[in-house]
Parts: sequence; structure tokens; C-alpha cells
Amino acid sequence: MNKIKENKDRKIKVLVSKVGLDGHDRGAKVICSLLKEAGMEVIYLGMYQMPKDVIDAAIDEDVDVIGPSFLSGEHLVYTPIIVEEMKKAGLDDVLLVVGGVIPVEDISTLKKMGVDEVFTAGSLTAPIIQYIKENIRR
Amino acid sequence: MQEMTTEEWSRKVKEGDRRAVAKLISAIERKEKIAREVLKLLYKPVGKTVTVGVTGSAGSGKSCLVSCLITAFRKRGKTVGVVAVDPSSPFTGGAFLADRLRMQAHGRDKGVYMRSMASRGYLGGIARGTVDVMRVIEAMGSDVVIVETVGTGQDEVEVARLVQTCIVVLTPNMGDDIQAMKAGIMEIAQVVVLNKSDMPGKEKALLDVEIALKMRSAPEDGWYVPIVLTVATEEKGIDKLLEQIEKHQSHLRKCVGLRKFAFRKAEKEGSVLVKDEIERIIFDHLKGTGLRRKYLDRIVDGEIDPYTAVEEVLSLFFKKSSKEG
Amino acid sequence: MKVTEKAEAAVQEKTVDWDKYLAAYYEKPKSSLTWSGLEVKEVYTPADLPPEKYRDMGDPGQYPYTRGIHRNMFRGRYWTRREVIGMGSPKDTHDRSKLLVDEGGSGLNTIADIPYEMGLDADHPWAQNEVGLTGVCITNMYDMETLTADIPLDKVSWSLITASTASVVTMAQYAAVAKKRGYDLKKLRGTVQNDPVHFRYCGFRPACPLDLSVKLGADVMEYCTKEMPLWYYTTVNLYDLREQGVTAPQEVAFGFLIARLYIDELIRRGYKVDDFAQRFAFYVSCHIDIFEEVSKIRAARRIWAKLMKEHYGAQKASSQQFRFAVHTAGCSLVPQQPLNNIVRIAYQALAAVLGGVQSLHCTSYDEPVCLPTENGHTQALRTQQILAYETGVTNVADPLGGSYYIENLTNQLEEEIYKVMAEVEKVGGMYEAIRTEWLDRVFENEALARQKEIDERDKILVGVNMFVTEQETETPLGVQRISKESVRQQIEMVKKLKKERNSTVWKEKILALKAAAERRENVIPYMIEATEVGATTGEMMGAVRLAFGYPYDPIEIIEAPF
Repeated sequence: MNKIKENKDRKIKVLVSKVGLDGHDRGAKVICSLLKEAGMEVIYLGMYQMPKDVIDAAIDEDVDVIGPSFLSGEHLVYTPIIVEEMKKAGLDDVLLVVGGVIPVEDISTLKKMGVDEVFTAGSLTAPIIQYIKENIRR
Repeated sequence: MQEMTTEEWSRKVKEGDRRAVAKLISAIERKEKIAREVLKLLYKPVGKTVTVGVTGSAGSGKSCLVSCLITAFRKRGKTVGVVAVDPSSPFTGGAFLADRLRMQAHGRDKGVYMRSMASRGYLGGIARGTVDVMRVIEAMGSDVVIVETVGTGQDEVEVARLVQTCIVVLTPNMGDDIQAMKAGIMEIAQVVVLNKSDMPGKEKALLDVEIALKMRSAPEDGWYVPIVLTVATEEKGIDKLLEQIEKHQSHLRKCVGLRKFAFRKAEKEGSVLVKDEIERIIFDHLKGTGLRRKYLDRIVDGEIDPYTAVEEVLSLFFKKSSKEG
Repeated sequence: MKVTEKAEAAVQEKTVDWDKYLAAYYEKPKSSLTWSGLEVKEVYTPADLPPEKYRDMGDPGQYPYTRGIHRNMFRGRYWTRREVIGMGSPKDTHDRSKLLVDEGGSGLNTIADIPYEMGLDADHPWAQNEVGLTGVCITNMYDMETLTADIPLDKVSWSLITASTASVVTMAQYAAVAKKRGYDLKKLRGTVQNDPVHFRYCGFRPACPLDLSVKLGADVMEYCTKEMPLWYYTTVNLYDLREQGVTAPQEVAFGFLIARLYIDELIRRGYKVDDFAQRFAFYVSCHIDIFEEVSKIRAARRIWAKLMKEHYGAQKASSQQFRFAVHTAGCSLVPQQPLNNIVRIAYQALAAVLGGVQSLHCTSYDEPVCLPTENGHTQALRTQQILAYETGVTNVADPLGGSYYIENLTNQLEEEIYKVMAEVEKVGGMYEAIRTEWLDRVFENEALARQKEIDERDKILVGVNMFVTEQETETPLGVQRISKESVRQQIEMVKKLKKERNSTVWKEKILALKAAAERRENVIPYMIEATEVGATTGEMMGAVRLAFGYPYDPIEIIEAPF
């Protein structure tokens, strides 16, 4: 964590992506702008990505955080696949932060699956930024 | 990756291991010492790899054009590496890297490697380590390396020194901007693309470009800059563009242009590397001595001028040569 | 711990910050702007509403319809209580629809899921994960039959929310089922959303290329004008535009300009505006600033009436009237303290009714969390029923009319709407604004601005940036889950259909459809014939897409099976 503050060449890189057919991207795009304003380098993958697409991009861009966005109830379908792909690719030091429309009941389910943190719709910006800065594992 | 030796790392890169490539590029961006050691092992003199730069202002459709070029090169059976640079915010230091979004079609193609880079305050349209990153991508086996610049359009001339074929992308609605851009950009183009050529104002734009090209200094080594009309969103004109790129490449390689280009590139790179290295050595040695701070205070307080200060510091490192009076 | 210590500790825990309490007593609102940022006066008086202004308003039922399109408004007929329903398989949706009719709903309202709107079959590799999650998937005529089973189509007014280019398929499937059951199409009442242009901004761009959107949108309008004259063939969707984070004036301005794209296309095809405009309807948001929303609606009515009469030369009253349904604003709701949403929705429903709405869908309080549960759906319906039966707001048409504030705010909103329209003209008109992605940039900027307002407390959201409590551990009244089993069965049925239908006849009809699309004819009659022999949504949309030079599959994963 201190490493990041000292070295101005060490930026936090975040990959934000929609997964599956869902096209609600208002939140994902807003998050990209907010993370940029917090000094991070954000790659927005866009829509119609399958979990493997997200992981492949995460590897090629060597990101610190993977941030899928779910707004159509598909989080329980795709999250285990994402976690599996991350394991297969050896991305254990990459943070997995999920955003979107997620019932509170599912938050603990997602965390048990391997998600590091969940930020639902209606979140304020500051806690998201703080969480990422304090929990980067690399 | 830290557990690997530099030899292992360079071997993995040459084998095309994407993780090794990606990690190396990160190390380059972070200016880690190990990156340089691996780069030493990866260096190859200019060879078969085709390097193309694509520059032009935001809104010119560069990313779309690059995506079309990738498709065209892939059809020819070439592997492609892309470095896409986006601007870092001067206030927050962050960046929104949105080029992958425009190149989604190639995300699943293992013959294409894409890397987004933030400029991190480096001027001239690219990022600081872009030449190193190009080297890595070349080493990994890409037949073609494309560099897409930031996109302010006014001063993106750095890329010209790094790539063999530099493409400048304009659009019909740039109007007076074409005149303004003559100064820097037109000088560096080997191919000019008029994208969105289905828009009104095409004829005037074409005329403006032709005039601007005529006004630049005499064509280098007999290469007359062609203007290619494209509509990237409809994949129109791309074959012609590729044709011109191939023509220029062939021209460059046949007419001893390639060695000249490589020479100039090495010259420029050497100069930058020397400056960086000396700066690094000096400031590394000054660390912990308090001297840097002392001199800065003295300059600000008017006790010493900056020129004398620098001479004094340097004299700690270099013996005065007899040439200096 | 000893008893006295325990008591002391308990008392200490309950200490009140009396300074904070005092501050709350004297607290003033931080902002006096409307939600969309308009400045309003502290108080409005008769001086703000001189008598000559009344000429521009008209009575309710009188051009330019500022005060409403019916003189007796709700005394003539309540607004339709139309809760949106769409979940799981056609059977699941059918059952929930009937439940709400039993509970007092007065109109059916079915929404398509993402695969259906994309024009994919339930067995498409990407669709299988997502069938039924956000609506119902109608892959073929038999799905439509299941959805409408034992419901008297000639008696009910059915709203079908397919908004994308797949609206042509929906109409074909519905018409085919109605014909099979012996109904006279000319007597059917209902609505299809059919607004593919706006749907590009809801994540359906691959399914809604701009040219195809205008063409197929107009096909639906043309077909209904000729064959189903009682059917509302579009509800131009302002709601989704508002959901992007834009202001009230932007919502109306952009929505009206999109509506004009369809009208212009129909006129290009040779229709006169009075031939078709009486079935033009709108889908509008109601957000939380009550008076602004009412004024927005009134301004919209006036602007639309003038536009139709002065620009398009419409003579008939029904061509000039702005008919609309309201969907209360989903984006105003938050998952924190979810029951608060019931209150927000109630205020928004009030605004809709005070504005003179024709048909209302109240969001359920669990909207920011999941699809509505039975309880959520019922609660939303009750919100409408309390409004209709208990509050007395139905007694008078345009009850806020004549209010010095409301009339002034209506005028203000009208001016702002025209300003936004002028901005779009400056970038070359709506088609250009969409094509060049100018509109995308507006949406992105507004969405970011809305988030910053919340972060910086320029706008207060109770439970989010004020009066925050610990995160709930469960959603009140439960979470709606989609039955995996019923979805799986639906997918199996689709696969079975594809194997068992008469493939010769099917191929003939599909290719006839493709040829008709190539000749640029109206595709719906051909789709009806194709769906009657078992052609599926994906196949029919694919055939039309190929005819227009687009890939068969919007996701570009599968190839045409013909």
C-alpha cells in the first residue's frame, strides 16, 4: 500500500466490464470516470464479454482489479465462472470487486464464491476508492 | 515473475507467453530496474517487423481505423501487436483507457495482442516507455506493431521517430484545423488518411490536405505521401490503405531508408537513454546527502544561480576535461 | 457487570446530541432548485399569472391540451393500473399476470427479457444463461400461446413491452395467436412499445442498428394502422432516456425528437399524419420532484399538440393529443432501507395522476434489488389503488391547473425543452446526434453529474448520503428468484420445436420473409406466416438482418440455419 503512494509510476489498474447480454452500462461508465478521478488507470472492456474474455484482457493488461458489473440478476450465474477462470489463470493476487443490482442476501454468497467485495447501486464513491486503495494485493 | 531470472523472463517473452509479456510491460511502466535487464536480452536490430504509427485528433476515428487495419493484416496471415495510448489527467493522474472498446472484435483472436497505456504526463502523443513496449511486442513474435497515439492532434510527432510508417488521420470537418496542424503533423506523415470521407466537406478537406502536403519540405528519399480516403465504420478504403502501407514499407526497405530510419531512431533513443541514465545516477547518488535540497534552497534564496549550481554538482561526478575553459 | 454499572452504561449509550437536535429544529433546505436544476421563486402570486395567459392553456380536452386530453379526466375512466410483469417462462409470467388481475389490476403489461429483445432464441448459447431473468422470452408462437392462454384477447387491453427491433416479431406472434383463436384483429386493443431507436441506449445496439430501427419501427406502425386500428403501435420511451440520468427537459426533448424520426418515416412512405397519429403514445418517467414532473407533463402536452398541428398539419384532435403511460422512476430508488422506496413511488405516482396519466406502472420497492416478488408487485398495485380510491385526486381534471407556481413552471419547462431541441438541431438533428454518438456523451456526462451530486450532497438521498443506517442483512419480503427448472423446460421445448417442425415449409416461409425484407416491404405479414409454421424469433430477426447486410446473429456467435 505504501509502495503505491511512494512510486508515482505505480498506478492502480482496474478492468471494468459488463458480462453476458446485459447492457445496463450507466453505472459501469460512471465508475470508470470516478476511478480515473481518483488517479487510477481504468480499462473499460464494454459489453458482451464472457468471463474468459474478461480474464484474457486482465492478463494482457496486467490489471490489479477486475470489476464486473451486473444489473440483470445474472451475477450468480457468471461469478463462479469468473472466479474459476481467474484461478485457472493464476490471478490470485488480483482483486475481484463486483458492482450492480445485487440483493443483500447474495453478497455473502458472492464472497463465499471468491468475490472480494460487492458495491451495489446506490453506493457512494469514497468507500469504493478507499476499499481498492487499501486492499490491492500486488 | 520476480522469481524468474532475466534469462527465463526473456525466453518466455520470445515464446509468446502473454503473462510474461504483460508483466514485463508493467515493469517497464514502473521503471523497475529488472525491466531494463530483460530488455537488454530482447534487443534485436531493425528487421522484418513492420511498425506503424497512427496519429490524429480525438474524433478522427483512429481506433476504428486501427481495428480495421488489424483485420486486414490478420487476413494476410500476420500477427499484430497494438499499443494504444490514452491521455492521463494532468490533475488526478488517472486515465480512462477506452481503446479496447473500439477493438472488441479482436479480443478473442490469439494472433492479436493489445495493450493500453496512459501517457502519464509524457508529451508528444505517446507514453514514456512506448519504444520499450514496442520492443517487447516485437520480441514476442508480432509481425506488425501498431502504435496508436493519444489523440490531441496538435503535437503528436514523437511517434514518427519510433515507427517506420506513420499514418496521420484527418476528417472533413476539421476545417481550419488542417491548416493549424500543418506545422507538426504533416511533416511526419508517410500516409495521410481522410477518414469519414462520406461526410460533407470532403472535397475542400482533400484540397486543404494536398496544399499542406505540397508545402512541406521535399519528400524524403523520393516518397510522395499518398492520401487515402476511408470510411472506417464501414470498412471502406482499408485495402487501399494497407496497399499504401505495404508500398511504403517496400520503399523504405529497398531504398536504404530502413537503415537511415533505424539510425535516427537509435540516435534519438540513445540520447534519451543517456540523459535518463545520467540523471538517475546523479540523483541516486545525491539521495540521503541532503545536497539536492541544499542547492535548491540556495537557488531560491538567490545565493547561487542555477547554472553554477549544476556545474558544482556535476563536478562532484566528472573530472574537468582539458577542453573546458 | 454490577447492576448499577449496567444501568450507567445503558444510559450513556442513549446520549442524545442536543446541539444536533437544535440544529435540526432550525434547519433550512440547502437548495431551492428543482431536481432538474431550474430556479424557482419563493412564492408565486396572481401577478405571475395574468389572465391573458389562459389562452395558451386551454381547458382540459381543448387544444393545446396543457390541462389534459379529456375534459372529465378520471371521472370518465380511471387510469389503467398496469403493473409490468415478466419473469421466467411464459407460463410463470402468465400466472403472475393472472394473480395481479385478481388483485385488482386493470390492464395486462408484459415485458420481454434481454434475449428476446436482442432477437435471440432461448437456446442461443449466450441466451441460455439469462432467459427469464428480467422478463419473458417468447421464442415462438407456442410461447405466445402459453402466455395468453385462457385470457380473452378481445376483452383485455394488453401492453407488450418489446421495445427493440424484435417488436415486429412480437406483433407477428400476437397476431398469429389471435388469428388462430378466431379473433378479429381489427377489434384487438393493446399496445406494443416498439421504440427501437431509444433502445440502442439500453444496451441493445447490436440488435438495433439505426437504419433497421427506423425501418422496423415504422413497419409495426404501418401494419397496425392498416390491420389493427385499435392498437397503440408505439409508446415512445422517454422513461429509459430519463434513467440514463438526464433532466426533465432533456427527457422530453430527446424523446420527442426520436418520435419525429418515426413520423417522418411514415410520411416518407406516403401516409398522412391524420391517418396514423391517433395511435401514437408515449412512455414517460415520473421522478421525485412532484411539481416539476407535473409541469413537465403539461408542457409536453402543449409542445406535442403544437408540433403535430403546426409542423405536421394534423387536423384531428386525436392526432394532436399527447397520450402517455407512466413508469415511476427506477433510478430514483435505492437498495438501502428499501421500504423507503414505497414512499418515493407513492409520490411519483401522485405526480403522474396529478399530471393526467392514461396508464400507470408503479415500480415495486425492490426494483433496485431484483425482479418484483408477489408481495412487491401487489404492494405497487395497492399504491395505485390507495391513490385512486382514497385520496380524492381523481375528482377534478388538472387539479393543479391555475396554480401560479404550476403554470409558471410549466412555461419554464416548455422553454427549457425547446432549448434542448435547439441544441440537437445545432449538431445536425437527432439522426446525426445519435449516429455521431453526441447523445452518448450527453448521457455519460449527466450520469456522472448525478453521481457527484450524491457524493457531494447537492442532492440528498435518504439512507444513502443522509440518515444512513447499517446495511440490511436481508431484503424485506424476500427476493424474487427465477425458477431454473421452468426456464430449462422452455429451452428444451425450443430445441424440440426446431427438430419436429416441417422443415420444408419452414424454410420456404423464412426465405420468403428474407426476400420481402430485401424488397423493403413490410415484414410483418411474412413473419405471421413464418411463425405459424414454427419459425422462431431468432430465425425471423436473423432473416431480416441478413437482408439489410447485418450479421444473422447480433452477437455474431451462430450462423443462419438456412
